[in-house]
Amino acid sequence: MDNVTYLANVTHPVQLGILIAIYFFYTGLSAGSFVLSSLGTVFGIEKYKPIAKAGVTMAIALLAIAPLHLIADLEQPGRFYTLFFRLNPTSAISYGTFLLTLYPLNSVIYLWFLMRKDFAAGANQLSGFRQKLYRFLSFGNTDLSPEALAKDAKRAKLLGTLGVPLALLVHGYTGFILANIQARALWHTGLMPLIFLMSAMVSGTGLLILVLLLSQRFFSPERSITPERKKLILDIAQLMLWFIVVDASLMVIDFIVLYYTNAAGRAAAELFLYGSHRTMFLGVEAGLGLFVPFLLLLIPRTKGSLGWISIASFLTLVGVIAMRVNFVIGGQQLPLTGNTLNPYTADPRHLMFIAVFALLELAVLYFAFRFLPVFGLPKTPSAPVNYQGQVGAK
Amino acid sequence: MAAQTKRYAMVIDLRKCVGCNACTVSCKIENQVPEGVFRTWVKEIEKGNYPQITRFRLPRLCNHCDNAPCLAACPVQATYRAEDGTIMIDYDHCIGCKYCMAACPYDARFINPIRKTAEKCTFCYHRVKAGLLPACVTTCVGGARIFGDLNDPESLVAKLVANNPVQVLKPDMSTKPMVFYIGADQDIMGARYGDLEKGERKHG
Repeated sequence: MDNVTYLANVTHPVQLGILIAIYFFYTGLSAGSFVLSSLGTVFGIEKYKPIAKAGVTMAIALLAIAPLHLIADLEQPGRFYTLFFRLNPTSAISYGTFLLTLYPLNSVIYLWFLMRKDFAAGANQLSGFRQKLYRFLSFGNTDLSPEALAKDAKRAKLLGTLGVPLALLVHGYTGFILANIQARALWHTGLMPLIFLMSAMVSGTGLLILVLLLSQRFFSPERSITPERKKLILDIAQLMLWFIVVDASLMVIDFIVLYYTNAAGRAAAELFLYGSHRTMFLGVEAGLGLFVPFLLLLIPRTKGSLGWISIASFLTLVGVIAMRVNFVIGGQQLPLTGNTLNPYTADPRHLMFIAVFALLELAVLYFAFRFLPVFGLPKTPSAPVNYQGQVGAK
Repeated sequence: MAAQTKRYAMVIDLRKCVGCNACTVSCKIENQVPEGVFRTWVKEIEKGNYPQITRFRLPRLCNHCDNAPCLAACPVQATYRAEDGTIMIDYDHCIGCKYCMAACPYDARFINPIRKTAEKCTFCYHRVKAGLLPACVTTCVGGARIFGDLNDPESLVAKLVANNPVQVLKPDMSTKPMVFYIGADQDIMGARYGDLEKGERKHG
């Protein structure tokens, strides 16, 4: 091999940075939790029905914040609305604009049909702030007859059925947006949408488990994780085990093929397997994010413990954030014209945006799970069921 | 592509390039390109071991591809093709999403830090419209840059492309670039992943 020394070249810093990676993370969480929510309402698996409302509430809360990352990443954020009418039929982003609008709208209407019964009942039974809120949210439709409820369920099923492909499209699209870029070796594979979808399922399940644990303990009418709830959470955790298996398999296939694609593909694979991205990829994304949770969900001692499952869930979130960063930023670091990695430094403004949006997200999740009837209506203070039961026992 | 009356292209005869960067400077002045970013630049490598050693230069600019990935990627039609084949950016409509920059296999685009939109070489559209040549062509001391209408068989560009062994950058991307090189060395035309692996392994 000839000795080649670069004397002059222009550096080309990475353009799509941390904001885009974190946006992919949020959308993935949303899509994952929506699909889990649909298992009960759309696919009719009875045991998952109790988490249907929690799943959609979470999906909406996440997708309410996710697009803000995209707008913050624009150099001309004030022009973002032109995406809606200056369309380019060959640009993936033009389609994504509408997917990102339709999916949350559909989810909101879907959630309303799931919750209308609670709103209507709450408007009658409760008092104070909640009663006013639920009366408003019922939009005057307080019909609680069995026919009306059956109609709700039917509509919810229809919207949920529409929501599943929308959720898959929204997140498949984020993978597609990268896959469609032939210039970047790491991205340019038909597997990319599937990889993004499966990691969305992994992280969506992970966050849903954490949200369920916290919200059931502190915001549900029972204020506790009842044995049935624990059983369901353990069940969902076992689903997560399988999502991890599929996600990891896709990743292995992707890297084997990538290694033998061409010079750029091999360089990309080596960057992740041997190079400077090794720790983030093999260590954090694959090791901490997939392998450790896999073990925790497999070993009988840990897979039955809510504590260990929380740790596994948290690790999947860390792993999927690492995955988004690795693919979005790492994919652009591989040089197109030079002999050194393209540099990336996170803009402090972008980091600040991420922190603000994360706080906003936590606030939205808090208020949604605190005030919406995600787990049914609070018991009226005058006659708490548990209390009465205890009195009766005495 | 619909039949165009004109199809501007550039031939860069590397046998005549001395690597003086006059093109880089004149482009900066002509197009008021801010500090740190470039519409055209000159890559330079040194190949071999003393005394068997040669320097190779490669002036770089937007390829104004026939199959332009940036044109396909732009979600707001801010990137468009002018009537003479030049790929242009509408700075009033660019939202700065940077998707075109990810899509370009040639690193030709950048964000103008002052205007806050994507930007790249326009083949000096404003000059060409006025009957002048692009600034880099006018200024090239060795006459290495030749600009003209590829659709006109009598133009120098068309003759050079027809009568010389020419290369384009990354033909495997099927972008059909409109910047042709005469005498380009393969080691300077794309990325040098070999160096990367070595460097990466050393540090990794």
